[in-house]
Amino acid sequence: MSNALAARGLGKGALAALIAGVVGAFCLLFEGLWPWLSSYPNDWVLPASDAVGTAVKSGLDYVKPAARVFSTLMAYPMTAANTVLAVLPWPLLIAATVALGWRLGGGKMAAMAAIGLGLVLASGYWQQGMNTLALVAVSVPLALLAGAMIGIFANEFPRFRAPVQALLDVMQTVPTFAYLTPLLVLFGFGPVVGLIASAIYAAPPMARNVLLGLQRVEAEVKEAGVMSGGTRMQQLFQVEIPAAKVQIMVGVNQCLMAALSMVIIAAVIGGFNDIGWEVLLTMRKAQFGPAMLAGSVIVIFAILIDRMSATLAQERRRLWDGRISLAILLLGLVVSLVFWRSLGDPDSYQLLDPVANGLDSWLTDFTRANAELLTSFKNGVMFYVLLPLRIGLDQAILPFTWGFQWTSGMSLGFYAVAALVALGLALRGQLTLGVVVLIAAGILETGVSQLPWPFVLIGIGTLSWVAGGYRLALLSVVLLSTILVSGLWDRALLSLYLSGAAVFACAVLGGGVGVLSAVSPMAWRLVRPICDMLQTIPLFVFLIPVLMVFQIGEFSAFLAIIAYAIVPMIRYTRQGLIATPDEMIEAATASGATRWQMMRDVRAPYAAPTILLGLNQTILYAFAMLVIAALIGTTGLGQSIYLALGQADVGLGISAGAAMAILALIADRIVQGFAEERKKALGL
Amino acid sequence: MTGSETPAISCRNLWQVFGDNADSALKQALSHHNNADEVSQALRAKGLVPAVQDVNFEVKEGELFVIMGLSGSGKSTLIRCISQLLPASGGEIRIEGEDIVSASKARLIALRRKTLGMVFQHFGLFPHMTVADNVAYPLRVQGIKRKTRRAKAQEVIELVGLAGREDRYPRELSGGQRQRVGIARSLVTDCSVWFLDEPFSALDPLIRRQLQDEFLDIQAKLKTTIVFITHDINEALKLADRIAIMRDGKIVQIGTPADIVLNPVDDYVREFSKDVAKGRHANVASVMQSPEGNSYGVDDPGLRRDMTLDAALARCMELYDPVPVRDSNGTLVGVINPADLAAALQVETDHV
Repeated sequence: MSNALAARGLGKGALAALIAGVVGAFCLLFEGLWPWLSSYPNDWVLPASDAVGTAVKSGLDYVKPAARVFSTLMAYPMTAANTVLAVLPWPLLIAATVALGWRLGGGKMAAMAAIGLGLVLASGYWQQGMNTLALVAVSVPLALLAGAMIGIFANEFPRFRAPVQALLDVMQTVPTFAYLTPLLVLFGFGPVVGLIASAIYAAPPMARNVLLGLQRVEAEVKEAGVMSGGTRMQQLFQVEIPAAKVQIMVGVNQCLMAALSMVIIAAVIGGFNDIGWEVLLTMRKAQFGPAMLAGSVIVIFAILIDRMSATLAQERRRLWDGRISLAILLLGLVVSLVFWRSLGDPDSYQLLDPVANGLDSWLTDFTRANAELLTSFKNGVMFYVLLPLRIGLDQAILPFTWGFQWTSGMSLGFYAVAALVALGLALRGQLTLGVVVLIAAGILETGVSQLPWPFVLIGIGTLSWVAGGYRLALLSVVLLSTILVSGLWDRALLSLYLSGAAVFACAVLGGGVGVLSAVSPMAWRLVRPICDMLQTIPLFVFLIPVLMVFQIGEFSAFLAIIAYAIVPMIRYTRQGLIATPDEMIEAATASGATRWQMMRDVRAPYAAPTILLGLNQTILYAFAMLVIAALIGTTGLGQSIYLALGQADVGLGISAGAAMAILALIADRIVQGFAEERKKALGL
Repeated sequence: MTGSETPAISCRNLWQVFGDNADSALKQALSHHNNADEVSQALRAKGLVPAVQDVNFEVKEGELFVIMGLSGSGKSTLIRCISQLLPASGGEIRIEGEDIVSASKARLIALRRKTLGMVFQHFGLFPHMTVADNVAYPLRVQGIKRKTRRAKAQEVIELVGLAGREDRYPRELSGGQRQRVGIARSLVTDCSVWFLDEPFSALDPLIRRQLQDEFLDIQAKLKTTIVFITHDINEALKLADRIAIMRDGKIVQIGTPADIVLNPVDDYVREFSKDVAKGRHANVASVMQSPEGNSYGVDDPGLRRDMTLDAALARCMELYDPVPVRDSNGTLVGVINPADLAAALQVETDHV
């Protein structure tokens, strides 16, 4: 295909790059003449978010009474769960968890549960922790039920599969905060909002896994169910669902983790004395020791829930001796009864407070002692990387930051060098790369946040065209245009810039670590537990350490995004590289390839589709974190969503959330398109 | 295939077409063209895939009918049409005289509970059930009590030689044992029509032969009507009463094993029988000439008309003149030239 096009003169990529480059150059040349080229005029903005706000609000008003009834109804199981967890003495609760841990995973899991909950008790956040768990305990069954029903429905009615998948995509790409605003209007202040939001957020992974599991049941197993003379219900519940159990349990695990993550995020609404609120409160008061402590409680919950439920999804799981579980439970009961009077308030066990305070003062000392180093690191990244990327070389280079002033002469020189490089590349037959260099130079000079909108539309449009053909190009341009006319364009570009920078950093760092882990098993042994840990920690907790060291600001957000989004890049890079079939390695060895040649010529091309999928995940993770990072000071769409939540501005919340989802969706489709193409080229 | 009794299975003008709106496209094409090939062409021109084209055959009660073809010839699709795992696009399928294309869902379920059994290439065992639960499942869906169905399952488990493994899970069994479970499960309802879709293809050759022999034993005991799919000509010749050879969705020849080996209708069928040791599948009657006008020599090696070619040749090793063939009463029924015998046995080389 591309060969045929190349024979006619230009490759698809080169053509796309040329078009984008010409549009960009045109915008830069004529922006003096027609200022609307560089910044989209306010007069052209449709009052979309207001309209959306009014429309949704009036729509919400209709459902409001029903929602309030639902809210009241949901209050019952919540109160019940709350009361149970609050009234039961802590020795019994710990014993029950340890007993469950033993049953699912033996001594190791039991010890983990005992130590974990012991730490929670010692932290003095027992009550808050139980409140969070009560929310999870009510929202998860809702999410499981809804998810299972959606999954089964999509499986039974194939014609609804595509729309359901699209709906699930949207439910997961709409940033978590964006849910909260309409829910807040609908259900009023209170924990029920967090409950519903977490059920909405946690249902899609369940639905996906149920559908995937059911579809992956071997065709012959399904046919055997039919030929055995089962009715459809019998086939579904006696054959297909049990046969899909492992995949469904993966869904249960993901559902639990998503629910926990969302419950904690929903704490920003406040009004419920849970652990997420505690983190937020201590963070706002800059009490980083207690914030760390409360954050650790969340991490402990996450690890326990994740590891225990992950055993359910094991291919051949075994249950450990139930009598020992029973004995542990009995022991807990006996201890609770005997020491009933002397147990006291679990919140009074603030054994770890000295640790927290020590940490706090150590940290203060540390930051004070190393203030110079930390500040120069922060400023270095800000001045030499982030700022130029954001507002361009022409504005970022000032005597104050770089020590000299950027002049138009320098601009010309910069362009001239880029043009020479591009020409050199073009002459060597790499026209596409040449044009891309030229475009990159233009972007660097202008700054991402000040790119002319026609260039962004055309550039992303042509990129989509290369990745996925005309349909994707059309989709991208139409969706981006909606952001443009809704007046959120500038903020969208800011989001694009920050997540772009973070994704780039993740790709470089994560790719490097991934390659290292693929080459050296030693390195992987070290990296793997860190990756596991980073993936278990709820988004929210990432903010604490960066905030402690680097204070509020874009740089902290940048670091938090990298910490969260780097994991898939590492994992997929390593996975892709080590998955090269042995035969190919042997063939390359037999041909006399060196280790480096093997990496470059055999492993890397074979791993390309997998690595692209990793990049895709990294992009989605970065967008998810970007919104959370709004809590510690970013500009852009995330901030808008957060502001909307504070003001209960439904229109802004939904529009900004939609814009965010649009960016994520387009990035997703483009990268997936490239990955598909690479896969096809390799015949996979 | 004469006689007034109803065949166990009959298919008339059976079509299976894949693609968008396949059924209506087929109807339209059938009304415009008379010839099956033209219909197929018209369908292909619309981007549809005619996987089964105008198939006609009948299977007698108790007959072991083998459908043979290479992968992609449509044989698996055909058996899924007959068992109604795929609703046929057009044509008529009757099982024991009953039209099952237009049968209601409830009637199909009833048929599958009582009449039909099926064995799958990759076994199709339920991974979450033990051997006994797998085998008893067709009874469980009928609401039969646990004890009764366990007892019935035990019978068939013993029949296929799996006694003592009732509480194992499929993953703990070897390939051959898994297929025994598949066979047992399909037999537990005492079906009268038995579909086997390449049941032994996924097994290694030794186990395959062992299971083929056991299968013949079971068939001799139960005398069910069987439709058996395979891509292996030797398996087809070994098991079949009659063989249907499929190619590109069409049946190109139906005949007894000897017919297929000795009188292939075209090069495609000949190609199959090329590597076959014909001596084991064809008998003397198929190569002998009539006694009238053919003289024979003094030697009489005692050939009978139903002897295999291999056995006949063994008796004629030293002979060059034509020899007589007699029936069991000693009456002369034919004459055979040992040279012809040897020639018929030769594995054919490419000929124009």
